[in-house]
Amino acid sequence: MTEPAIELRGITKSYGKKPVLAGLDLSVPHGSVVGLLGVNGSGKTTLMKCALGLIRPQAGQARLLGEPSWTLSAAAKARIGYVPQVVNLYPWMKVRHLLEYTAAFYPNWNDDLVARLTKEWDIPRDDRIGPLSVGQLQKVAIVLALGHEPDLLILDEPAASLDPVARRQFLQEIISLAEPGRRTVLFSTHITSDLERVADRVAILKSGRVTWHGLLDDLKEQTHVNLEESFLEMHNV
Amino acid sequence: MRISVETSSGMPITRQVAAQIRAQCASGVIKPGERLPSVRALATDLSVNQNTILRVYERLTAEGLLERRHGDGTFVADRVPSGQMKAQRQRLREEIARVAELAKTLGVDAEEVHQLLDQEMK
Repeated sequence: MTEPAIELRGITKSYGKKPVLAGLDLSVPHGSVVGLLGVNGSGKTTLMKCALGLIRPQAGQARLLGEPSWTLSAAAKARIGYVPQVVNLYPWMKVRHLLEYTAAFYPNWNDDLVARLTKEWDIPRDDRIGPLSVGQLQKVAIVLALGHEPDLLILDEPAASLDPVARRQFLQEIISLAEPGRRTVLFSTHITSDLERVADRVAILKSGRVTWHGLLDDLKEQTHVNLEESFLEMHNV
Repeated sequence: MRISVETSSGMPITRQVAAQIRAQCASGVIKPGERLPSVRALATDLSVNQNTILRVYERLTAEGLLERRHGDGTFVADRVPSGQMKAQRQRLREEIARVAELAKTLGVDAEEVHQLLDQEMK
């Protein structure tokens, strides 16, 4: 058996006196698409950043693609795509310049894929980044994260600012590139209907821990209700 | 093959898709030996995770309803196993019972239903 794509063991992280993650465990198997659900402030972004080695937990072990997250090799980093919740890109660059600039860092950059996505998603290649809307920025960030065809994609609220058309296009792209056994995707969202389509697994984050993780189908077999109702139930709403 | 998926339902997506494929095999919409769309194609078409569709195909293959020919795709088995056939007949009976109920409420008599059925089965 190969090691899981993401392995978090006993992760604890507080900001000042405020605990966010409290001994969290999560193991994401290779080739799965995991939707991460949690209320605002439940620690979804912190979980992702710990997994990526962008912040260091106070306790516990985080491993990504078989390496410790904090000391990822360049080779492992080249296999990861990440879209942060708040997209921060060079405002003075034109979209096409930013695409070319990013492409230069990756030997396996897929120009055809990027050209197709920018066209299908109506991304204005000749516009500057600065005045782009939040939704357009998010689209650019997603394309940048997909261009090198990463084995592991980590997406923090990727569809939050997208209009319904762009959201459906984006979901279909994720579905088509998440081939069974090949690519691993971890994404957070509040839109449970999206999660039900794209993900085959769901992880629910509550009180600093993953309180439920498994196949979406198993959750439904147990509860006989849709994901949103399960989620509300778990929060006693 | 016509399949739809309802995410707001409490029924797992694998069950929804499997039930519709079984029903369409029973009703003859999908014929023995017919090739089903690839996992990727059906998943993209329904906007549903590929692993989910893969599990449906695996389950129906284990039941003997489908055959996966390596490198060639997924097909409806030429000979549907007898248990499966029985289950499909049962399924058809249930569908017919539902049609009969509907006909009664609409005041359509048996003869007319027979005619409609004949037309559909041509």
